[in-house]
Amino acid sequence: MQIAKRIGILLGVLTLCGCGNAVTRVSIPVKVQSEIDITRYSNFAVLPFISEKQIERNEKLPPEIGEEIASILRRGLARQKHFEVVSTQETARLLTGETVEEDWLSNTKHLSEFGEYFEVKAVIIGSFRFYADSRPRRYYGERYSVQRQRYVLDYQDYMQKTYLLSLRVMIVDVETEEVVWDESYRRSTAEAHTIGSFIFSQVGPQANTIRELGRRAVSEFTRQISPHYENEDRYLVN
Amino acid sequence: MLRYSQLASIAILLCIILCGCAGFGDVTRTEAYNRFAIKAAQAQLWNEAVFRWKQVVSIDPEDAKAHNNLGVAYEALGNMEEAIASYQRAAELEPNNKYYRLNYRRCRIHLRRSGGDDEDAPQLEEPLPTE
Repeated sequence: MQIAKRIGILLGVLTLCGCGNAVTRVSIPVKVQSEIDITRYSNFAVLPFISEKQIERNEKLPPEIGEEIASILRRGLARQKHFEVVSTQETARLLTGETVEEDWLSNTKHLSEFGEYFEVKAVIIGSFRFYADSRPRRYYGERYSVQRQRYVLDYQDYMQKTYLLSLRVMIVDVETEEVVWDESYRRSTAEAHTIGSFIFSQVGPQANTIRELGRRAVSEFTRQISPHYENEDRYLVN
Repeated sequence: MLRYSQLASIAILLCIILCGCAGFGDVTRTEAYNRFAIKAAQAQLWNEAVFRWKQVVSIDPEDAKAHNNLGVAYEALGNMEEAIASYQRAAELEPNNKYYRLNYRRCRIHLRRSGGDDEDAPQLEEPLPTE
């Protein structure tokens, strides 16, 4: 009786193993549509990004950083076949005598008027915050001790400096004066410093770091508003 | 010395293993095509994979896995109508297979997002199987 029971269990297990379908997971490219109506918003004017005044760190940045971020965005959008963008030179010419300020972000009527002046369907504007956070860190590792003739635990202190960029991007519909897009993109990068290099980094230029972080943030925004391909999993049955 | 019951168990196990080995040697043509097509798909050679799975379907039109795999290949190539038709056929043939339903559902979600979904297509609205 016990043998029959054992054989039954064994057969059951083998049957279940045999019945299961082996599957292979493959990635296929799927087209992801734009998160905005690209038939409506096909041409843009990108205004210089505004440095948020309340952040102390921002004050030390060169004033043209906002325009540089806008310029990166213009180049990114111009590469997409669905969009037309007012060029940097044309924007500078049309904005002559104007200073883009923080209160523009809430004044959609004013932005809409600018959009009409630029003859575009939508205006892209935004602001940025850039700041650094430094913390002492300790790195644990092993080193060979000649005295003890073996590896011993060792550590090294260093300063970790993290740069953070928070970029807010808004799209304002020129016709309806509505904000159709308002998202923030945070990007960060970290550096390891000794005491000497840390002091130097405090006084050294930050423009390259903010440009790089701006490029990363802007590419995420461009990806979201333009049709693109993403990989998605599907199952092939063996 | 081995007991009679233990000997019997070993004998049965050997029989099962030998039966399995015999079956393995007799791999059908469709299975060989399917395996080859999967390798082609993994190498992103989707046209080759479609060609093989079409052959499987022509040999055995009731082969649900070939229809499912063909659906995946069509979707990878951007032939969404054919992909949907293949997934539907696979789901009709084996309604309880979670992978067919999962592929079909993902394809439908993707199609709906891109605005090309057919409203009359059958809905598979049950919860997704856990992977």
